[in-house]
Amino acid sequence: MSTLVLARKQSRVFRELNSVVTVMAREITAYLKSPGAAIMSLAMPLVMMGMIGGNLMQNMAGGLGFEFGQFMLVGMLVNMLFMITSMGMASMVDDHDIDFNQEMLVSPVSRVSLVIGKILGSAFAAIVSMAGTLIVGLIMGITLPLGKLLLILALSPLMCLTGGALAMLVIGLIKSKKAANLAVNLIVMPQMFLSGAIIPINNSSGVLLVLSRLMPMTYCLDLARAVIYAGTPEYDSVVMFNPALNFAAIAVLTVGCLILGTFFFAQSEKNR
Amino acid sequence: MSMIEVNNLVKQYKGAKEPSVKGVSFSVERGEFFAFLGPNGAGKTTTISILTTTLSKTSGEVKIAGFDIEKEARKVREKVGIIFQQPSLDPQLTAEQNIRFHACLYGMCGYRPTFKMMPAAYRNRVMELAEIVGIQDALFKPIKKLSGGMQRKLEIIRSLIHTPAVLFLDEPTQGLDAVSRRGLWDYINDVRNQYGTTVFLTTHYIDEAENVDKVCLINHGKIAACCSPEEMKNSLLRQELILDAEDRTALTNELTTLGLPYTVNGRVIVPYQESAQDVISRLQTKLTVLRIHEPSLEDAYVEFLNKSGRDAA
Repeated sequence: MSTLVLARKQSRVFRELNSVVTVMAREITAYLKSPGAAIMSLAMPLVMMGMIGGNLMQNMAGGLGFEFGQFMLVGMLVNMLFMITSMGMASMVDDHDIDFNQEMLVSPVSRVSLVIGKILGSAFAAIVSMAGTLIVGLIMGITLPLGKLLLILALSPLMCLTGGALAMLVIGLIKSKKAANLAVNLIVMPQMFLSGAIIPINNSSGVLLVLSRLMPMTYCLDLARAVIYAGTPEYDSVVMFNPALNFAAIAVLTVGCLILGTFFFAQSEKNR
Repeated sequence: MSMIEVNNLVKQYKGAKEPSVKGVSFSVERGEFFAFLGPNGAGKTTTISILTTTLSKTSGEVKIAGFDIEKEARKVREKVGIIFQQPSLDPQLTAEQNIRFHACLYGMCGYRPTFKMMPAAYRNRVMELAEIVGIQDALFKPIKKLSGGMQRKLEIIRSLIHTPAVLFLDEPTQGLDAVSRRGLWDYINDVRNQYGTTVFLTTHYIDEAENVDKVCLINHGKIAACCSPEEMKNSLLRQELILDAEDRTALTNELTTLGLPYTVNGRVIVPYQESAQDVISRLQTKLTVLRIHEPSLEDAYVEFLNKSGRDAA
Protein backbone atom coordinates (compact mmCIF):
# COMPACT_ATOMS: atom_id res chain seq x y z
CA MET A 1 0.00 0.00 0.00
CA SER A 2 1.22 3.48 -0.87
CA THR A 3 2.31 5.70 1.98
CA LEU A 4 0.80 8.68 0.21
CA VAL A 5 -1.48 10.66 2.48
CA LEU A 6 -3.23 13.81 1.41
CA ALA A 7 -2.60 16.64 3.82
CA ARG A 8 -4.98 19.25 5.10
CA LYS A 9 -2.89 22.33 4.60
CA GLN A 10 -5.42 25.04 4.02
CA SER A 11 -6.55 27.70 6.47
CA ARG A 12 -10.07 27.60 7.92
CA VAL A 13 -11.23 30.45 5.67
CA PHE A 14 -9.85 28.75 2.55
CA ARG A 15 -11.53 25.50 3.52
CA GLU A 16 -14.89 27.19 3.96
CA LEU A 17 -14.55 28.96 0.60
CA ASN A 18 -13.42 25.70 -0.97
CA SER A 19 -16.49 23.94 0.40
CA VAL A 20 -18.76 26.69 -1.01
CA VAL A 21 -17.12 26.25 -4.44
CA THR A 22 -17.32 22.44 -4.20
CA VAL A 23 -21.03 22.37 -3.38
CA MET A 24 -21.68 25.04 -6.02
CA ALA A 25 -19.77 23.04 -8.63
CA ARG A 26 -21.80 19.94 -7.81
CA GLU A 27 -25.03 21.84 -8.44
CA ILE A 28 -23.76 23.26 -11.72
CA THR A 29 -22.51 19.83 -12.87
CA ALA A 30 -25.87 18.28 -12.07
CA TYR A 31 -27.65 21.12 -13.91
CA LEU A 32 -25.50 20.72 -17.01
CA LYS A 33 -26.19 16.98 -17.03
CA SER A 34 -29.94 17.48 -16.79
CA PRO A 35 -31.49 18.53 -20.11
CA GLY A 36 -34.87 18.90 -18.40
CA ALA A 37 -33.55 21.53 -16.01
CA ALA A 38 -31.87 23.44 -18.83
CA ILE A 39 -35.05 23.40 -20.94
CA MET A 40 -37.05 24.53 -17.90
CA SER A 41 -34.79 27.47 -17.17
CA LEU A 42 -35.06 28.61 -20.79
CA ALA A 43 -38.82 27.98 -21.05
CA MET A 44 -39.62 30.00 -17.92
CA PRO A 45 -38.65 33.34 -19.52
CA LEU A 46 -40.95 32.54 -22.45
CA VAL A 47 -43.87 32.07 -20.08
CA MET A 48 -43.05 34.82 -17.61
CA MET A 49 -41.71 37.53 -19.89
CA GLY A 50 -43.26 36.55 -23.22
CA MET A 51 -46.79 35.62 -22.15
CA ILE A 52 -47.47 37.32 -18.81
CA GLY A 53 -45.27 40.34 -19.52
CA GLY A 54 -46.44 40.69 -23.12
CA ASN A 55 -50.07 40.61 -22.07
CA LEU A 56 -49.53 43.21 -19.34
CA MET A 57 -47.67 45.47 -21.77
CA GLN A 58 -50.49 45.37 -24.26
CA ASN A 59 -53.26 45.96 -21.74
CA MET A 60 -51.87 47.89 -18.73
CA ALA A 61 -48.96 49.96 -19.88
CA GLY A 62 -50.68 53.35 -20.36
CA GLY A 63 -50.55 56.40 -18.03
CA LEU A 64 -47.73 55.27 -15.73
CA GLY A 65 -45.35 58.13 -16.41
CA PHE A 66 -42.59 55.76 -17.44
CA GLU A 67 -41.96 53.12 -20.08
CA PHE A 68 -43.63 49.94 -18.75
CA GLY A 69 -41.65 47.49 -20.89
CA GLN A 70 -38.31 48.39 -19.35
CA PHE A 71 -39.85 48.54 -15.85
CA MET A 72 -41.25 45.06 -16.29
CA LEU A 73 -38.09 43.61 -17.84
CA VAL A 74 -36.04 44.60 -14.77
CA GLY A 75 -38.78 43.12 -12.58
CA MET A 76 -38.78 39.88 -14.54
CA LEU A 77 -34.98 39.61 -14.38
CA VAL A 78 -34.97 39.83 -10.59
CA ASN A 79 -38.08 37.67 -10.29
CA MET A 80 -36.40 35.02 -12.43
CA LEU A 81 -33.35 35.03 -10.15
CA PHE A 82 -35.54 34.52 -7.09
CA MET A 83 -37.83 31.96 -8.71
CA ILE A 84 -35.20 29.67 -10.26
CA THR A 85 -32.91 29.85 -7.22
CA SER A 86 -35.82 28.90 -4.96
CA MET A 87 -36.71 26.00 -7.25
CA GLY A 88 -33.10 24.85 -7.11
CA MET A 89 -33.19 24.92 -3.32
CA ALA A 90 -36.11 22.49 -3.41
CA SER A 91 -33.59 19.86 -4.55
CA MET A 92 -32.42 19.72 -0.91
CA VAL A 93 -35.38 17.41 -0.43
CA ASP A 94 -34.00 15.14 -3.19
CA ASP A 95 -30.64 15.16 -1.40
CA HIS A 96 -32.41 14.10 1.77
CA ASP A 97 -34.20 11.28 -0.09
CA ILE A 98 -30.96 9.84 -1.49
CA ASP A 99 -29.20 10.34 1.88
CA PHE A 100 -26.73 12.74 0.29
CA ASN A 101 -27.45 15.33 3.00
CA GLN A 102 -25.84 12.89 5.45
CA GLU A 103 -22.67 12.91 3.37
CA MET A 104 -22.59 16.71 3.45
CA LEU A 105 -23.50 17.04 7.12
CA VAL A 106 -20.82 14.66 8.33
CA SER A 107 -18.11 16.77 6.65
CA PRO A 108 -16.03 19.15 8.80
CA VAL A 109 -17.28 22.41 7.31
CA SER A 110 -19.78 25.02 8.41
CA ARG A 111 -23.39 24.23 7.56
CA VAL A 112 -23.74 27.84 6.38
CA SER A 113 -21.01 27.21 3.77
CA LEU A 114 -22.92 24.17 2.51
CA VAL A 115 -26.11 26.19 2.18
CA ILE A 116 -24.36 29.15 0.48
CA GLY A 117 -22.75 26.71 -1.98
CA LYS A 118 -26.14 25.20 -2.70
CA ILE A 119 -27.70 28.63 -3.28
CA LEU A 120 -24.90 29.83 -5.55
CA GLY A 121 -25.06 26.56 -7.50
CA SER A 122 -28.79 27.05 -8.00
CA ALA A 123 -28.00 30.63 -9.04
CA PHE A 124 -26.28 29.28 -12.15
CA ALA A 125 -29.62 28.08 -13.56
CA ALA A 126 -31.19 31.38 -12.47
CA ILE A 127 -28.60 33.38 -14.40
CA VAL A 128 -29.24 31.21 -17.49
CA SER A 129 -32.93 32.11 -17.10
CA MET A 130 -31.96 35.74 -16.73
CA ALA A 131 -30.17 35.55 -20.08
CA GLY A 132 -33.27 33.89 -21.57
CA THR A 133 -35.42 36.72 -20.21
CA LEU A 134 -33.15 39.30 -21.85
CA ILE A 135 -33.43 37.48 -25.19
CA VAL A 136 -37.24 37.34 -24.95
CA GLY A 137 -37.18 41.06 -24.01
CA LEU A 138 -35.03 41.78 -27.04
CA ILE A 139 -37.51 39.97 -29.28
CA MET A 140 -40.29 42.10 -27.72
CA GLY A 141 -38.26 45.22 -28.48
CA ILE A 142 -37.24 45.97 -24.85
CA THR A 143 -33.55 46.60 -24.21
CA LEU A 144 -31.38 47.76 -21.32
CA PRO A 145 -28.15 49.80 -21.52
CA LEU A 146 -25.22 47.32 -21.65
CA GLY A 147 -23.16 48.98 -18.89
CA LYS A 148 -26.11 48.98 -16.49
CA LEU A 149 -27.00 45.45 -17.46
CA LEU A 150 -23.50 44.32 -16.51
CA LEU A 151 -23.97 45.98 -13.13
CA ILE A 152 -27.19 44.00 -12.63
CA LEU A 153 -25.33 40.87 -13.63
CA ALA A 154 -22.68 41.66 -11.01
CA LEU A 155 -25.41 42.05 -8.38
CA SER A 156 -27.24 38.88 -9.43
CA PRO A 157 -25.34 36.43 -7.14
CA LEU A 158 -26.26 38.63 -4.17
CA MET A 159 -29.90 38.63 -5.25
CA CYS A 160 -29.83 34.84 -5.71
CA LEU A 161 -28.33 34.53 -2.23
CA THR A 162 -31.24 36.56 -0.85
CA GLY A 163 -33.82 34.49 -2.73
CA GLY A 164 -32.14 31.20 -1.79
CA ALA A 165 -31.82 32.19 1.86
CA LEU A 166 -35.53 33.01 1.97
CA ALA A 167 -36.37 29.66 0.36
CA MET A 168 -34.15 27.90 2.94
CA LEU A 169 -36.37 29.24 5.73
CA VAL A 170 -39.16 26.98 4.51
CA ILE A 171 -37.42 24.21 2.55
CA GLY A 172 -35.01 23.42 5.38
CA LEU A 173 -37.94 22.09 7.39
CA ILE A 174 -39.59 20.08 4.61
CA LYS A 175 -38.95 16.42 3.87
CA SER A 176 -41.44 15.82 1.04
CA LYS A 177 -40.83 16.84 -2.56
CA LYS A 178 -44.49 17.64 -3.14
CA ALA A 179 -44.56 19.93 -0.11
CA ALA A 180 -41.28 21.54 -1.18
CA ASN A 181 -42.68 22.41 -4.62
CA LEU A 182 -45.76 23.89 -2.99
CA ALA A 183 -43.56 25.86 -0.61
CA VAL A 184 -41.56 27.29 -3.53
CA ASN A 185 -44.78 28.50 -5.13
CA LEU A 186 -45.85 30.00 -1.82
CA ILE A 187 -42.57 31.88 -1.62
CA VAL A 188 -42.34 32.96 -5.25
CA MET A 189 -45.86 33.92 -6.26
CA PRO A 190 -46.73 36.44 -3.52
CA GLN A 191 -43.35 38.10 -3.96
CA MET A 192 -43.86 38.56 -7.69
CA PHE A 193 -46.98 40.64 -7.03
CA LEU A 194 -46.18 42.19 -3.65
CA SER A 195 -42.62 43.28 -4.44
CA GLY A 196 -43.47 45.14 -7.63
CA ALA A 197 -41.85 42.83 -10.15
CA ILE A 198 -44.52 43.41 -12.76
CA ILE A 199 -46.97 45.80 -11.12
CA PRO A 200 -45.83 49.09 -9.54
CA ILE A 201 -46.40 49.17 -5.77
CA ASN A 202 -45.75 52.86 -5.15
CA ASN A 203 -49.38 53.33 -4.14
CA SER A 204 -49.78 50.20 -1.99
CA SER A 205 -51.26 50.76 1.46
CA GLY A 206 -52.43 48.86 4.54
CA VAL A 207 -51.57 45.17 4.83
CA LEU A 208 -50.21 45.04 1.27
CA LEU A 209 -47.78 47.85 2.09
CA VAL A 210 -46.55 46.04 5.22
CA LEU A 211 -46.17 42.77 3.33
CA SER A 212 -44.28 44.45 0.49
CA ARG A 213 -41.80 45.91 2.99
CA LEU A 214 -41.23 42.44 4.50
CA MET A 215 -40.38 40.89 1.13
CA PRO A 216 -36.62 40.73 0.45
CA MET A 217 -37.34 40.90 -3.29
CA THR A 218 -38.80 44.41 -2.86
CA TYR A 219 -35.33 45.73 -1.98
CA CYS A 220 -33.54 43.68 -4.65
CA LEU A 221 -35.93 45.00 -7.29
CA ASP A 222 -35.64 48.56 -6.08
CA LEU A 223 -31.84 48.31 -6.11
CA ALA A 224 -31.86 46.89 -9.65
CA ARG A 225 -34.16 49.68 -10.83
CA ALA A 226 -32.00 52.28 -9.07
CA VAL A 227 -29.08 50.98 -11.15
CA ILE A 228 -31.01 50.97 -14.44
CA TYR A 229 -32.82 54.29 -13.95
CA ALA A 230 -29.91 56.21 -12.39
CA GLY A 231 -29.63 59.65 -14.03
CA THR A 232 -32.95 59.38 -15.89
CA PRO A 233 -36.06 61.58 -15.38
CA GLU A 234 -38.11 58.46 -14.46
CA TYR A 235 -35.90 57.65 -11.44
CA ASP A 236 -38.20 59.26 -8.86
CA SER A 237 -41.35 57.63 -10.22
CA VAL A 238 -39.81 54.16 -10.37
CA VAL A 239 -37.34 53.89 -7.45
CA MET A 240 -38.77 53.92 -3.92
CA PHE A 241 -35.76 53.84 -1.57
CA ASN A 242 -32.19 55.06 -1.34
CA PRO A 243 -29.84 52.35 -2.73
CA ALA A 244 -27.94 52.35 0.58
CA LEU A 245 -31.17 51.51 2.41
CA ASN A 246 -31.84 48.76 -0.14
CA PHE A 247 -28.36 47.34 0.45
CA ALA A 248 -28.81 47.43 4.21
CA ALA A 249 -32.24 45.77 4.02
CA ILE A 250 -30.92 43.08 1.66
CA ALA A 251 -27.94 42.41 3.93
CA VAL A 252 -30.04 42.14 7.10
CA LEU A 253 -32.76 39.98 5.52
CA THR A 254 -30.26 37.73 3.72
CA VAL A 255 -28.09 37.11 6.78
CA GLY A 256 -31.17 36.61 8.97
CA CYS A 257 -32.83 34.16 6.57
CA LEU A 258 -29.53 32.36 5.94
CA ILE A 259 -28.77 31.79 9.61
CA LEU A 260 -32.33 30.79 10.50
CA GLY A 261 -32.77 28.64 7.37
CA THR A 262 -29.46 26.84 7.94
CA PHE A 263 -30.36 26.28 11.59
CA PHE A 264 -33.76 24.81 10.64
CA PHE A 265 -32.15 22.60 7.99
CA ALA A 266 -29.39 21.26 10.25
CA GLN A 267 -31.79 20.73 13.15
CA SER A 268 -34.42 18.97 11.04
CA GLU A 269 -31.77 16.55 9.77
CA LYS A 270 -30.27 15.97 13.21
CA ASN A 271 -33.19 16.24 15.63
CA ARG A 272 -35.29 13.28 14.71
CA MET B 1 -6.20 6.99 25.25
CA SER B 2 -9.79 6.07 24.36
CA MET B 3 -10.74 7.11 20.85
CA ILE B 4 -14.42 6.55 21.52
CA GLU B 5 -15.94 7.10 24.94
CA VAL B 6 -19.66 6.62 25.40
CA ASN B 7 -21.25 7.14 28.81
CA ASN B 8 -24.90 6.44 29.54
CA LEU B 9 -26.03 7.35 26.02
CA VAL B 10 -29.79 7.63 25.56
CA LYS B 11 -31.70 8.35 22.35
CA GLN B 12 -35.45 8.62 22.09
CA TYR B 13 -36.80 9.56 18.67
CA LYS B 14 -39.54 12.18 18.45
CA GLY B 15 -42.92 10.57 18.96
CA ALA B 16 -41.42 7.22 20.04
CA LYS B 17 -42.88 5.58 23.13
CA GLU B 18 -39.54 4.44 24.46
CA PRO B 19 -35.85 5.13 23.78
CA SER B 20 -34.07 3.25 20.99
CA VAL B 21 -30.81 3.44 22.93
CA LYS B 22 -31.13 3.05 26.69
CA GLY B 23 -28.12 4.16 28.69
CA VAL B 24 -25.36 2.59 26.60
CA SER B 25 -21.75 2.85 27.83
CA PHE B 26 -18.54 1.52 26.26
CA SER B 27 -15.11 2.68 25.17
CA VAL B 28 -12.82 1.91 22.24
CA GLU B 29 -9.06 2.35 22.50
CA ARG B 30 -6.81 3.88 19.84
CA GLY B 31 -6.16 1.43 17.01
CA GLU B 32 -8.70 -1.03 18.33
CA PHE B 33 -10.95 -3.00 15.99
CA PHE B 34 -14.38 -2.86 17.61
CA ALA B 35 -17.54 -4.69 16.54
CA PHE B 36 -21.00 -3.54 17.58
CA LEU B 37 -23.36 -6.43 16.96
CA GLY B 38 -27.05 -6.93 17.45
CA PRO B 39 -30.25 -7.89 15.66
CA ASN B 40 -32.22 -5.51 13.42
CA GLY B 41 -33.64 -2.61 15.42
CA ALA B 42 -31.28 -3.14 18.34
CA GLY B 43 -29.94 0.45 18.17
CA LYS B 44 -26.70 -0.03 16.20
CA THR B 45 -27.30 2.52 13.44
CA THR B 46 -28.81 5.00 15.90
CA THR B 47 -25.64 4.78 18.00
CA ILE B 48 -23.36 5.13 14.98
CA SER B 49 -25.35 8.15 13.74
CA ILE B 50 -24.94 9.87 17.11
CA LEU B 51 -21.22 9.08 17.23
CA THR B 52 -20.72 10.59 13.76
CA THR B 53 -22.69 13.76 14.72
CA THR B 54 -25.50 13.24 12.21
CA LEU B 55 -28.11 12.57 14.91
CA SER B 56 -28.62 14.36 18.22
CA LYS B 57 -28.59 12.42 21.47
CA THR B 58 -31.26 12.69 24.14
CA SER B 59 -28.76 12.46 27.01
CA GLY B 60 -25.40 11.04 27.96
CA GLU B 61 -21.84 11.90 27.09
CA VAL B 62 -19.91 10.95 23.94
CA LYS B 63 -16.32 11.83 23.08
CA ILE B 64 -14.47 10.95 19.89
CA ALA B 65 -10.67 11.34 19.97
CA GLY B 66 -11.16 13.37 23.15
CA PHE B 67 -13.63 15.81 21.55
CA ASP B 68 -17.21 16.19 22.74
CA ILE B 69 -19.61 15.38 19.87
CA GLU B 70 -21.83 18.37 20.59
CA LYS B 71 -19.45 21.08 21.78
CA GLU B 72 -16.65 20.17 19.37
CA ALA B 73 -18.61 18.59 16.52
CA ARG B 74 -16.36 20.03 13.81
CA LYS B 75 -13.22 18.51 15.35
CA VAL B 76 -15.02 15.19 15.68
CA ARG B 77 -16.00 15.31 11.98
CA GLU B 78 -12.38 15.90 10.99
CA LYS B 79 -11.39 12.71 12.76
CA VAL B 80 -14.03 10.34 11.46
CA GLY B 81 -14.86 8.58 8.23
CA ILE B 82 -18.05 6.63 7.68
CA ILE B 83 -19.63 4.16 5.32
CA PHE B 84 -23.35 4.62 5.88
CA GLN B 85 -25.74 1.70 5.96
CA GLN B 86 -27.72 3.18 3.04
CA PRO B 87 -25.86 4.35 -0.10
CA SER B 88 -25.30 8.13 -0.02
CA LEU B 89 -23.90 8.87 -3.47
CA ASP B 90 -25.04 11.57 -5.87
CA PRO B 91 -26.49 9.67 -8.87
CA GLN B 92 -26.03 12.69 -11.13
CA LEU B 93 -22.24 12.67 -10.74
CA THR B 94 -19.62 10.19 -11.90
CA ALA B 95 -17.87 7.91 -9.42
CA GLU B 96 -14.76 10.12 -9.41
CA GLN B 97 -16.81 13.31 -9.03
CA ASN B 98 -18.39 11.84 -5.90
CA ILE B 99 -14.93 11.16 -4.46
CA ARG B 100 -13.69 14.63 -5.48
CA PHE B 101 -16.67 16.23 -3.76
CA HIS B 102 -15.84 14.39 -0.53
CA ALA B 103 -12.08 15.07 -0.69
CA CYS B 104 -12.67 18.80 -1.21
CA LEU B 105 -15.21 19.05 1.61
CA TYR B 106 -12.67 17.38 3.90
CA GLY B 107 -10.09 20.01 2.90
CA MET B 108 -7.79 17.51 1.22
CA CYS B 109 -7.33 19.79 -1.80
CA GLY B 110 -8.83 22.78 -3.56
CA TYR B 111 -11.68 22.08 -5.96
CA ARG B 112 -10.84 21.86 -9.67
CA PRO B 113 -13.43 21.28 -12.40
CA THR B 114 -11.82 18.14 -13.90
CA PHE B 115 -9.94 15.09 -12.60
CA LYS B 116 -6.91 15.95 -14.72
CA MET B 117 -6.70 19.37 -13.10
CA MET B 118 -6.77 17.94 -9.56
CA PRO B 119 -3.43 17.70 -7.68
CA ALA B 120 -1.29 14.63 -8.43
CA ALA B 121 -1.55 13.48 -4.79
CA TYR B 122 -5.33 13.27 -5.12
CA ARG B 123 -5.21 11.54 -8.50
CA ASN B 124 -2.71 8.94 -7.30
CA ARG B 125 -4.66 8.18 -4.15
CA VAL B 126 -7.94 7.78 -6.05
CA MET B 127 -6.31 5.44 -8.58
CA GLU B 128 -4.62 3.46 -5.81
CA LEU B 129 -7.85 2.98 -3.85
CA ALA B 130 -9.83 2.22 -7.02
CA GLU B 131 -7.38 -0.54 -7.86
CA ILE B 132 -7.59 -2.03 -4.38
CA VAL B 133 -11.37 -2.35 -4.47
CA GLY B 134 -11.39 -3.12 -8.20
CA ILE B 135 -13.38 -0.25 -9.71
CA GLN B 136 -10.69 1.49 -11.78
CA ASP B 137 -12.68 0.85 -14.97
CA ALA B 138 -15.83 2.39 -13.52
CA LEU B 139 -14.24 5.49 -12.04
CA PHE B 140 -15.49 7.87 -14.71
CA LYS B 141 -18.89 6.34 -15.24
CA PRO B 142 -22.09 7.91 -13.88
CA ILE B 143 -23.30 6.38 -10.61
CA LYS B 144 -26.54 5.39 -12.33
CA LYS B 145 -24.58 2.93 -14.47
CA LEU B 146 -22.81 1.20 -11.56
CA SER B 147 -24.14 -1.94 -9.89
CA GLY B 148 -25.01 -1.91 -6.18
CA GLY B 149 -21.75 -3.68 -5.35
CA MET B 150 -19.70 -1.18 -7.37
CA GLN B 151 -21.43 1.71 -5.59
CA ARG B 152 -20.55 0.14 -2.25
CA LYS B 153 -16.89 -0.10 -3.29
CA LEU B 154 -16.99 3.54 -4.29
CA GLU B 155 -18.32 4.49 -0.86
CA ILE B 156 -15.44 2.57 0.67
CA ILE B 157 -12.92 4.62 -1.33
CA ARG B 158 -14.71 7.79 -0.36
CA SER B 159 -14.62 6.98 3.36
CA LEU B 160 -10.88 6.24 3.26
CA ILE B 161 -9.69 9.08 1.02
CA HIS B 162 -9.03 11.41 3.96
CA THR B 163 -7.38 8.70 6.10
CA PRO B 164 -9.65 9.10 9.14
CA ALA B 165 -8.46 8.37 12.68
CA VAL B 166 -11.74 6.60 13.44
CA LEU B 167 -13.52 4.70 10.71
CA PHE B 168 -17.20 3.86 11.22
CA LEU B 169 -18.41 1.00 9.05
CA ASP B 170 -22.16 0.51 9.17
CA GLU B 171 -22.63 -2.84 7.44
CA PRO B 172 -19.92 -2.02 4.89
CA THR B 173 -19.93 -5.27 2.94
CA GLN B 174 -23.66 -5.43 2.32
CA GLY B 175 -24.09 -6.28 -1.37
CA LEU B 176 -20.43 -7.16 -1.99
CA ASP B 177 -19.31 -10.47 -3.47
CA ALA B 178 -16.95 -12.75 -1.52
CA VAL B 179 -13.80 -11.64 -3.38
CA SER B 180 -14.57 -7.94 -2.86
CA ARG B 181 -15.35 -8.56 0.82
CA ARG B 182 -12.00 -10.22 1.33
CA GLY B 183 -10.21 -7.46 -0.60
CA LEU B 184 -11.89 -4.83 1.54
CA TRP B 185 -10.95 -6.47 4.82
CA ASP B 186 -7.36 -6.97 3.68
CA TYR B 187 -7.18 -3.28 2.84
CA ILE B 188 -8.80 -2.17 6.10
CA ASN B 189 -6.31 -4.30 8.03
CA ASP B 190 -3.48 -2.63 6.06
CA VAL B 191 -4.90 0.79 6.91
CA ARG B 192 -5.10 -0.18 10.57
CA ASN B 193 -1.56 -1.47 10.63
CA GLN B 194 -0.13 1.53 8.79
CA TYR B 195 -2.06 4.42 10.34
CA GLY B 196 -3.31 2.94 13.62
CA THR B 197 -6.89 3.63 12.52
CA THR B 198 -9.59 2.78 15.04
CA VAL B 199 -12.38 0.82 13.36
CA PHE B 200 -15.97 0.69 14.61
CA LEU B 201 -17.93 -1.98 12.77
CA THR B 202 -21.55 -3.03 12.65
CA THR B 203 -22.31 -6.04 10.47
CA HIS B 204 -24.74 -8.85 9.91
CA TYR B 205 -21.90 -11.10 8.70
CA ILE B 206 -20.77 -12.21 12.14
CA ASP B 207 -17.71 -14.00 10.73
CA GLU B 208 -16.34 -10.53 9.80
CA ALA B 209 -16.16 -9.74 13.52
CA GLU B 210 -14.25 -12.92 14.36
CA ASN B 211 -10.89 -11.13 14.38
CA VAL B 212 -11.89 -7.93 16.15
CA ASP B 213 -10.28 -6.86 19.43
CA LYS B 214 -13.52 -6.21 21.24
CA VAL B 215 -17.14 -7.02 20.57
CA CYS B 216 -20.23 -5.43 22.12
CA LEU B 217 -23.62 -7.05 21.81
CA ILE B 218 -26.58 -4.68 21.89
CA ASN B 219 -30.16 -5.82 22.17
CA HIS B 220 -33.30 -3.73 22.69
CA GLY B 221 -31.12 -0.64 23.08
CA LYS B 222 -28.99 -2.04 25.91
CA ILE B 223 -25.47 -3.44 25.98
CA ALA B 224 -25.75 -7.13 26.84
CA ALA B 225 -22.06 -8.06 26.70
CA CYS B 226 -18.80 -6.30 25.93
CA CYS B 227 -15.58 -8.32 25.78
CA SER B 228 -13.17 -10.05 23.40
CA PRO B 229 -14.66 -12.57 20.94
CA GLU B 230 -12.80 -15.38 22.76
CA GLU B 231 -14.25 -14.38 26.13
CA MET B 232 -17.69 -14.17 24.58
CA LYS B 233 -17.42 -17.62 23.05
CA ASN B 234 -16.10 -19.10 26.29
CA SER B 235 -18.82 -17.51 28.40
CA LEU B 236 -21.65 -18.68 26.15
CA LEU B 237 -20.45 -21.92 24.58
CA ARG B 238 -18.37 -24.97 25.32
CA GLN B 239 -16.01 -26.75 22.98
CA GLU B 240 -17.29 -30.11 21.81
CA LEU B 241 -15.97 -33.41 20.57
CA ILE B 242 -18.03 -35.01 17.85
CA LEU B 243 -17.63 -38.78 18.03
CA ASP B 244 -19.12 -41.93 16.59
CA ALA B 245 -18.34 -45.63 16.61
CA GLU B 246 -19.52 -48.77 14.82
CA ASP B 247 -20.84 -49.86 18.22
CA ARG B 248 -22.42 -46.60 19.31
CA THR B 249 -24.06 -48.24 22.35
CA ALA B 250 -20.64 -49.32 23.65
CA LEU B 251 -19.39 -45.78 23.21
CA THR B 252 -22.29 -44.15 25.07
CA ASN B 253 -22.04 -46.78 27.84
CA GLU B 254 -18.34 -46.03 28.20
CA LEU B 255 -19.00 -42.27 28.37
CA THR B 256 -21.59 -42.87 31.08
CA THR B 257 -19.15 -45.07 33.01
CA LEU B 258 -16.47 -42.38 32.78
CA GLY B 259 -18.95 -39.75 34.00
CA LEU B 260 -18.65 -37.67 30.83
CA PRO B 261 -21.79 -35.81 29.72
CA TYR B 262 -22.93 -36.32 26.14
CA THR B 263 -25.85 -35.87 23.76
CA VAL B 264 -26.75 -37.84 20.67
CA ASN B 265 -27.76 -35.69 17.74
CA GLY B 266 -26.82 -37.60 14.60
CA ARG B 267 -23.41 -38.13 16.22
CA VAL B 268 -22.33 -38.40 19.83
CA ILE B 269 -21.50 -34.92 21.09
CA VAL B 270 -19.26 -34.63 24.13
CA PRO B 271 -18.65 -31.17 25.59
CA TYR B 272 -15.31 -30.64 27.30
CA GLN B 273 -13.69 -27.90 29.38
CA GLU B 274 -9.91 -28.27 29.34
CA SER B 275 -8.28 -30.58 26.78
CA ALA B 276 -9.78 -32.81 24.09
CA GLN B 277 -6.76 -35.11 24.48
CA ASP B 278 -7.82 -35.96 28.09
CA VAL B 279 -11.21 -37.20 26.89
CA ILE B 280 -9.94 -39.14 23.87
CA SER B 281 -7.13 -40.90 25.77
CA ARG B 282 -9.66 -42.33 28.24
CA LEU B 283 -11.85 -43.97 25.58
CA GLN B 284 -11.37 -47.66 24.71
CA THR B 285 -14.18 -47.99 22.13
CA LYS B 286 -12.91 -47.96 18.54
CA LEU B 287 -13.99 -44.61 17.01
CA THR B 288 -15.12 -44.12 13.41
CA VAL B 289 -15.62 -40.35 13.71
CA LEU B 290 -13.51 -37.90 15.69
CA ARG B 291 -13.87 -34.16 15.21
CA ILE B 292 -13.31 -31.13 17.42
CA HIS B 293 -15.89 -28.40 17.14
CA GLU B 294 -14.49 -24.94 17.94
CA PRO B 295 -17.44 -22.57 18.51
CA SER B 296 -17.49 -19.52 16.25
CA LEU B 297 -18.51 -16.01 17.19
CA GLU B 298 -21.65 -16.58 15.17
CA ASP B 299 -22.49 -19.59 17.37
CA ALA B 300 -22.00 -17.41 20.43
CA TYR B 301 -24.07 -14.61 18.90
CA VAL B 302 -26.97 -16.95 18.08
CA GLU B 303 -26.76 -18.49 21.55
CA PHE B 304 -26.80 -15.03 23.05
CA LEU B 305 -29.91 -14.03 21.10
CA ASN B 306 -31.65 -17.30 21.97
CA LYS B 307 -30.74 -16.81 25.64
CA SER B 308 -32.02 -13.22 25.55
CA GLY B 309 -35.25 -14.47 24.02
CA ARG B 310 -35.60 -17.13 26.70
CA ASP B 311 -34.86 -14.61 29.46
CA ALA B 312 -37.39 -12.15 28.02
CA ALA B 313 -40.02 -14.93 27.85
